[in-house]
Amino acid sequence: MFVESKTISLLAPEIILMLGATVLFLLGAFRAGRAQLVATLIAYAGAAVALACYGSPWNTESTLSGPLVIDPMSLGLRWIALLAGFIFTLAGSRRDVELAAEFQGTLMLVICGAMLTASANELVLLFLGLELISIPTYVLLFLGRRDRASAEATMKYFYLSLLASALLLYGFAFLYGISGTTVIVGSGKVQGIREAFLNQDSTALTSSLFKLSPIALVLITAGFGFKLAAAPFQFYAPDVYQGTTNANTGVLAVIPKLAGVAGFLRLALLVIPGTAVADKAFAWQLPLILAVLTMTIGNVCALWQKDIRRLLAYSSIAHGGYLLIGLAVGAASMSSGSHQAAGGAGGMLFYVLVYALATMGSLCTLAYLGSPRRELSGVEELAGLARSQPLAAATLAIFMFSLTGIPPLAGFWGKLTLFGSAIQLSAANQTSNTSLSLWFVGLAIVAALNAAIGAAYYLRIIGVMYFQSPGSPAPAAGGRLALVGGVFCALLVIGSGMFPAQIVGLSLRAEHKLVEHAPSVSPPPLGEGRGEGLPITPLVTAR
Amino acid sequence: MADSLLPILLFAACALALALGMLGVASLFGPKRQTAVKQMAYESGMDPIHDAHRKFDVRFHLVAIAFLLFDVELLFLYPWAVAGNATAGIDAAVAQATELGIGYSRGLVFIEVMVFVGLLAVGLVYAWKKGVFKWR
Repeated sequence: MFVESKTISLLAPEIILMLGATVLFLLGAFRAGRAQLVATLIAYAGAAVALACYGSPWNTESTLSGPLVIDPMSLGLRWIALLAGFIFTLAGSRRDVELAAEFQGTLMLVICGAMLTASANELVLLFLGLELISIPTYVLLFLGRRDRASAEATMKYFYLSLLASALLLYGFAFLYGISGTTVIVGSGKVQGIREAFLNQDSTALTSSLFKLSPIALVLITAGFGFKLAAAPFQFYAPDVYQGTTNANTGVLAVIPKLAGVAGFLRLALLVIPGTAVADKAFAWQLPLILAVLTMTIGNVCALWQKDIRRLLAYSSIAHGGYLLIGLAVGAASMSSGSHQAAGGAGGMLFYVLVYALATMGSLCTLAYLGSPRRELSGVEELAGLARSQPLAAATLAIFMFSLTGIPPLAGFWGKLTLFGSAIQLSAANQTSNTSLSLWFVGLAIVAALNAAIGAAYYLRIIGVMYFQSPGSPAPAAGGRLALVGGVFCALLVIGSGMFPAQIVGLSLRAEHKLVEHAPSVSPPPLGEGRGEGLPITPLVTAR
Repeated sequence: MADSLLPILLFAACALALALGMLGVASLFGPKRQTAVKQMAYESGMDPIHDAHRKFDVRFHLVAIAFLLFDVELLFLYPWAVAGNATAGIDAAVAQATELGIGYSRGLVFIEVMVFVGLLAVGLVYAWKKGVFKWR
């Protein structure tokens, strides 16, 4: 796997962002002023132009080059990451403090990391991308505010994120040990982890190593689960979100989720369930149980929150649980031997877009409603917003309706595709695998109940804004651009709710391209001729 | 499987036995003459002058980070310098890549290293401008 000149040309958007961040740090050191906002927007525009040159995700084919893969999923997630960077730039545009350029530069590095993660086809690059998200995030959290709560949030996030990285690396080490390579999907003569798992030879010297893959699955799920704020790694989210600014909360709630989804789909879905490890059901039971736990904890705890960022933290946990439904569906379908993800992966991709739009929009609007000195924190501070700030109240209401899943908005279609994939999988297995069918019906019922619980606290926010008499008015000094960002997200939420077919189609296409086989490494048909594919490089002779 | 892991297990067992054995033999046969000087905390041969739980200047921290930056730079430049002139180094990799029809050359490797050095230089300029090296 060489990093050739083509690989570098495929990294053009990331390189532009990296250059932009470097320029911003220098601008921050040498001259303050509005130049940094212009430089930031130019860098994002440049990255968007470079990304557009790779073609529309609607008709891209998979390309492998060095440690990179360019496919509809990678392009789609990179577009979402760029959009998030643009929106958060607007959310943090009004920063009269001396470290404004550092905020924008660090944010740009985070976005660059998310884009790398989206297209990584190699364990090392995947880890590098995840760290490029984590490490600047620590700095972002520190830049946000200078008080005890902020320091506590930064330290908490720092240590727990380190723990999650360590668990993930340990999982990667197991995968490397089992397969003898760090490439995820192989091409041509190069065998990847996925081929090693698909073509495993029960007579080979290393065959007993495959029994270790459940351990690898658990460790990887823990590592990416932290990014999704999934149980049992959800406990950091409320404290950290509460302790930082609204714009930073948006970054924390959206970017790691994107990275977690990319990691789960690229690695957990492709590598683990396609194996004949000792216990096939384990691969889907683990995400299924985590999904149930995560969404229930998130939704129930959100009910009695008084702080808006704490509430959104529990909401973000609950949505992490919904996302895991897609993983469970995909894993169940893949581990039953078909090379289809049964709409689970596509549902996850669509849902993460829907969630990202609503979450970053609402935190952008909240950033507008606060001021650099006083962030808006309590739910009660939103009272009577419909009269004092009608536009901001309307955008917030749209995001809350979308997160609830009210039909004409994007959130409804997100929940429909995810819950629908669970129901469909259950119906397809009704006769062949009754226990799996029952598990997934149960999952869909729990998910629907959770959506109903979630409605209670989202609608409470709308109630406070529209039906309570105003207290002290919100400062609304976060800068006009932040409101523009919020309104832009609201339009996108409405647009993708009106015309969901295009985007759902794209995410299903991304799923198809993700799980399909490159022709050169097509596996033997299941049941017969196993092991006729590429020979596995045994671990003990691998150099 | 078990055969291939046996050397590792043997190695681990030997290492453990050696470490425990040395500690055990030392505590069995070693002379034990404690003096006040020997009971003192060891601080690079100097007399410890005060409590260890003492605040020290945060400037040390910044300089330590800057040092780490260039330590890591050196760590990456050494392999590059060695591979540049070795038999199984960059030339061999370029030959292998050319055989596979992959666009890879010495120039590309050079540019990559220069980007790395350049980014670190920007870090130095930033730290300098922010006054990290001023010992106020």
